[in-house]
Amino acid sequence: MNPMKIALSFLILIISLHHAVGQEKPTPPEGMVYVPAGEFIMGSTYGDPDERPQQIASTKAFCIDKYEVSNAEFAEFDPTFKFPPEKKNNAVIVTWSKANAYAKWAGKRLPTEKEWEKAARGIDGRVFPWGDTYDNTYVVWDQKETRGASIAKPASPYGCYDMAGSVWEWTSDWYKPYPGNKVPMEQYGETYKVMRGGSNFNNHSFIRTSQRYYVLPEKIHVYPVGIRCVKDIN
Amino acid sequence: MNELIEVDEILSKKNKFNQTNIPKTLLLIDHKQEIAMHKYRLLPLVTVCIFFAIPNIFAQKVNEFPKKTDPLYKKVEMFDRLMLGNHWNEGAIMQHVIFPPAGLEQPIVGSQADCLDPTSEMLAAYSHKYAITKDTKDRKIANEIFEAILKLEKVTGVAGLVARSFNKTNEPLWHEEVMWYHEWHQSTSMPGYRWLGDLSADKFTSIFYGVGTFWELCADTEYKDKAAALLDRFIGRVVDNNFKLTDLDGKMTLWGNFCPNLPHQELNSLEMLAALKVTHHITGKERYNAAYHMLIDRYHYDDHQINSKILFPKEWRNVGDDYHAARSLYMIMRLETDPNLLNKYRMNLNRHWYDWKDIDFTWESNIWFLMVYKVLTGEDIFTEEKKQGIKDMWGFERNTREFKIPQKDGSFKMVRSEEERTAAAMIRNYWFGRYYGIIDEKW
Repeated sequence: MNPMKIALSFLILIISLHHAVGQEKPTPPEGMVYVPAGEFIMGSTYGDPDERPQQIASTKAFCIDKYEVSNAEFAEFDPTFKFPPEKKNNAVIVTWSKANAYAKWAGKRLPTEKEWEKAARGIDGRVFPWGDTYDNTYVVWDQKETRGASIAKPASPYGCYDMAGSVWEWTSDWYKPYPGNKVPMEQYGETYKVMRGGSNFNNHSFIRTSQRYYVLPEKIHVYPVGIRCVKDIN
Repeated sequence: MNELIEVDEILSKKNKFNQTNIPKTLLLIDHKQEIAMHKYRLLPLVTVCIFFAIPNIFAQKVNEFPKKTDPLYKKVEMFDRLMLGNHWNEGAIMQHVIFPPAGLEQPIVGSQADCLDPTSEMLAAYSHKYAITKDTKDRKIANEIFEAILKLEKVTGVAGLVARSFNKTNEPLWHEEVMWYHEWHQSTSMPGYRWLGDLSADKFTSIFYGVGTFWELCADTEYKDKAAALLDRFIGRVVDNNFKLTDLDGKMTLWGNFCPNLPHQELNSLEMLAALKVTHHITGKERYNAAYHMLIDRYHYDDHQINSKILFPKEWRNVGDDYHAARSLYMIMRLETDPNLLNKYRMNLNRHWYDWKDIDFTWESNIWFLMVYKVLTGEDIFTEEKKQGIKDMWGFERNTREFKIPQKDGSFKMVRSEEERTAAAMIRNYWFGRYYGIIDEKW
């Protein structure tokens, strides 16, 4: 870890502790975990150009689903949705508008990129939800497997599972450059939505917490993209 | 709503026309003679003949298949004709062919994400074949296949950026929507072509394996220079991008990660080392040797690559990945002279052998693993049973099935068509085996 990263982490830790003293941790709804308000390290210095610049970002407090939404859960919202019975507990794969409609129906919403990244990596800028070291047993790779079925079952700092691998996850954001990013990309704008977390069908680097990928919201082709919702705290 | 188009009747008429061995031009002459005899009486028929004959010329395909009982050399000869006749796309070899009416008429179209695999296999096949026959016709075919790989670079308009595949068309084709990721682009450097991006580590391996073999066994001085220049641009671009395959948008491709600063598969470490070794050997440029030793000395790729083969848990064993490891080990172990490094590559090979020694010959690339093992170790591992497995090698069957074809209004049409997979691996195995004395020419 470089000295700059250590200094940033320390600073954020102090700020977070300060916030935490005055904050009461609410009880999250069933199946969700609580993410406190505050700053965190967002982006990277080593990934694709669109992950830069690495920055200090902040969010309000929110709750986020512990697992991706399953086929069976989605079918409660859309009874016409069909899936093989043995895959009822697998992550659902849907377009952005369907994901958004599901989130509204559930009284939730899709996360922003900031919220997703904070829930996945916590405040210390780690590469993966569990830390900086990769291991095959930490990830759901096989599409036959259900949610949370990795061998080692590591969670993110706030207790989320499968934020690396399994299926990509929709965010509410359009694919746009981070403030201060000068690298041109013709895909930036309001054509593509950002998906996060990588899937079981790409290389290991795509499951990094800061990795961004753009996709047409209604034409996902063979990208497996699923849903993890957030809920505001009143 | 799905609409089913029954085209069996049309297909059977077309096949009847195609199954004859008479070239189509002669058939047209026959038609003309017939028409001259009945000049006036058959005038309306002329229009009908022309209407049907012209599309049939483009729909022509090779239809002769070998029998399972044929000797190996005959099966290879006939599958070779099928591949060159039906799968040839301006030198690139198509992995999957869908015939009309679902497929295009020229070139015939199917899924194309892995075209570089059969293309490199056929390039290697003809390189090994030429090394045996010294026949200029074989070298010419190898040259044309190599030129297609150059075209895969040219079509992107970016030096060193190689496409997965291309099609001569101005309009998006239906399979772009449903087969593989939507990474098709209209070419600006070759107007009238579309190309598929997002190259992977697998296709990266196909390129240095195929082009490296061509350089080694078949290319004349002119083509050796062209092959070296292509690898210099292609591998050079990956090195310049910190060992990442990057796409037109500047982002790393979904499967293009060899980067020392990013987590990547052990297999990718092996592939990168092999690519650098081959490119240094062919170009003589020190930068590739320096990159090779940097990845070893600073990032320990030599240790990392040992575990390319995942053995446990057993269900994670992946023979598809073994193919890329086999090609990489075959290239790197014949070029490396450092005994310490060779020992580490041998450890990698041994881990593969743990699985390969009991492997069933379920697909043609499996058979090649054992040939590679024998070439690299010199061990006599071919039992009579395994030799029979080689003699029984097979290409593909032609199937008929329904294709779900997307329409402009968002609906789908079900269209019944014939399709073919590839026999390139079988043909490569044969000439590889012949070259190394594993296969007898009388088999």
